Amino acid sequence: MATPVAVLRRLAGRLVQTAVVVLVVTFVTYWMLSLLPSDPCFLSVGTGATEEILAECRERLELDRGLFAQYGAWLGNMLTGDLGESYRNGIDVTDSLRDKLPVTAWLVLYTTVLSIVISVPLGMLSAVRRDTWVDRLLTGGSFSLLSLPSFVLGVVLALIFAAKLGWFDLGGFVSPTAGLLAHWKSLVLPVVTLTAGIMPFLLRLLRSDVITTLQEDYVEAARAKGLPRWWILLRHVLRPSSFTVVTVAGLNAAQLVNGALVVEIIYDLDGVGTYLISAVFNQDFLVVQTLVALIAAAFVATNMLVDATYPLLDPRVRVRNR
Amino acid sequence: MRAPSFPGRESLAVLRGRKTRGAGAGRPLLAEQPAGFWVAATWLAVLTFFLLFAPVLGFVADPDGYSRDVLQGVGRSHWFGTDELGRDMFARVVWGGRLSLMISAISVAVGILIGGLMGLLAGFFGGWVDTVLSAVINILLALPALILALFIVTVLEQNTRNVIIAVTILSARAVARIVRAQTLRFREREFVTAARCMGARTSRLLFREVLPNLVPIVVAFTFLGLGLVIVGEGSLSFIGKSVPSPAITWGGILAVAKGKLADAPHLTIYPAIVLFCTLMAVNYIGDTLMRRFDIRQSLI
Repeated sequence: MATPVAVLRRLAGRLVQTAVVVLVVTFVTYWMLSLLPSDPCFLSVGTGATEEILAECRERLELDRGLFAQYGAWLGNMLTGDLGESYRNGIDVTDSLRDKLPVTAWLVLYTTVLSIVISVPLGMLSAVRRDTWVDRLLTGGSFSLLSLPSFVLGVVLALIFAAKLGWFDLGGFVSPTAGLLAHWKSLVLPVVTLTAGIMPFLLRLLRSDVITTLQEDYVEAARAKGLPRWWILLRHVLRPSSFTVVTVAGLNAAQLVNGALVVEIIYDLDGVGTYLISAVFNQDFLVVQTLVALIAAAFVATNMLVDATYPLLDPRVRVRNR
Repeated sequence: MRAPSFPGRESLAVLRGRKTRGAGAGRPLLAEQPAGFWVAATWLAVLTFFLLFAPVLGFVADPDGYSRDVLQGVGRSHWFGTDELGRDMFARVVWGGRLSLMISAISVAVGILIGGLMGLLAGFFGGWVDTVLSAVINILLALPALILALFIVTVLEQNTRNVIIAVTILSARAVARIVRAQTLRFREREFVTAARCMGARTSRLLFREVLPNLVPIVVAFTFLGLGLVIVGEGSLSFIGKSVPSPAITWGGILAVAKGKLADAPHLTIYPAIVLFCTLMAVNYIGDTLMRRFDIRQSLI
């Protein structure tokens, strides 16, 4: 039964579960990175290091302590908001993220909005005109997009719209403070690429959802009352499906992260994805560790939130659980 | 459609532990498939032929053979043109596909084996077995695919074997989840209970009663999983963290071509088309089979 207490208890249970998963993931990644034959002190001090300097550095970074102690210290720092600094260049991870996070955040925000704005009307159209040529076109189109990984679509879009037509340049991210038009222009191709990867999932799910809803008795009743078609669709059909849209939009987070990584590389956007990849190539493992932990936490938390709040949002699920 | 039955036959079959028919069973698998299915199957067949026999096909050039025909367009001697070192792009696409698809095929096969076993045991036994295995699955699922693969290749050394390990984990975690859900569905069914009542051993219940019912979903997953893994490996090589050069994969070809978009678009377009058609084919076949076997989309 979904009384507030039960919902809270469920939420608490999920919260504990999520915390455990994040803890284990961060510990395993920490442990695996610590096995690598890479000495952060060697990286930070450079080749001219004497033994004393290295020893002093190791002591400063507390590398001589046991794995658990090191992990505990790292976790404590993370929880108090100290993300540490790169072994490579000594730049604070927090500072770097301050520059790079907005890039990825804008990308993800625009993509989420655009994919919902596109797929909701198209999904409904597809369902209402089920098995007509419109439906086939839309289903087929979204199926094709599903088979177009972002590293292919991104490159092809860059080829057509940047290299050939010259409508956009691949000059990287422009902040909204530097002019809204330039900002949007810098993100059009990346957002379109990412949206193409997300939209098909939404569209397909919405289509089957709406088809089910259209067969409900209350839709029939509304039709019998003589309500206008658009009103029925908007009020009686779309409304129950909106929860599905929210859920899928949340669950697509994984797809978004994967896509963002690739898209940032293609379009030279200096976001979190590029940051992570360059840290991997520079063997800057503290940065890798911190970013992976943050991504895992954000990702697992999103999933949990979507999962746990679903019964809160949808009265039908509440009733069914009773 | 069910097979015609006379009274009592079904219960007999239950006793023999054979009435394990899921939806779609009893119909021949390949009958009445839409035309698209055959187009997709033909594409895969032709592709497989090229990839398998590339070394002995006379017209597939040496993918590393330099020549003076630098950056040629599409022509009779170079079907997909040549790159900046005069290497035949068709040959590179074929040889890149060999490696891409070999990695993908191995990781899907091993992924099904490992992930399938995990899901089967977790779903069948429940209790602490399920708790432990589900925890492992959930932990593996806690990272987006590309981040996980990137991390694994970083921690292990960057070579073909470890790329296979990384993408195998991607397919294994997906299979484990699907198979677990399906096993949960089947383990309570009458035929399993009947066999248990007749004193069948656990191994028999697992492998003779439940496992055959998982075949449809595993077959369908083989194709969808191939799509998943081809994209995974492709993205990884696009980032530059898959098999090290000089080995070539489709993702790697596209990553290199990206630098010459403006001058030589043919370096991008033809590999992209081949990759797209292949993904389309495996996704379409997988999707058709899923619907055929009446498997809920949300499981994937």
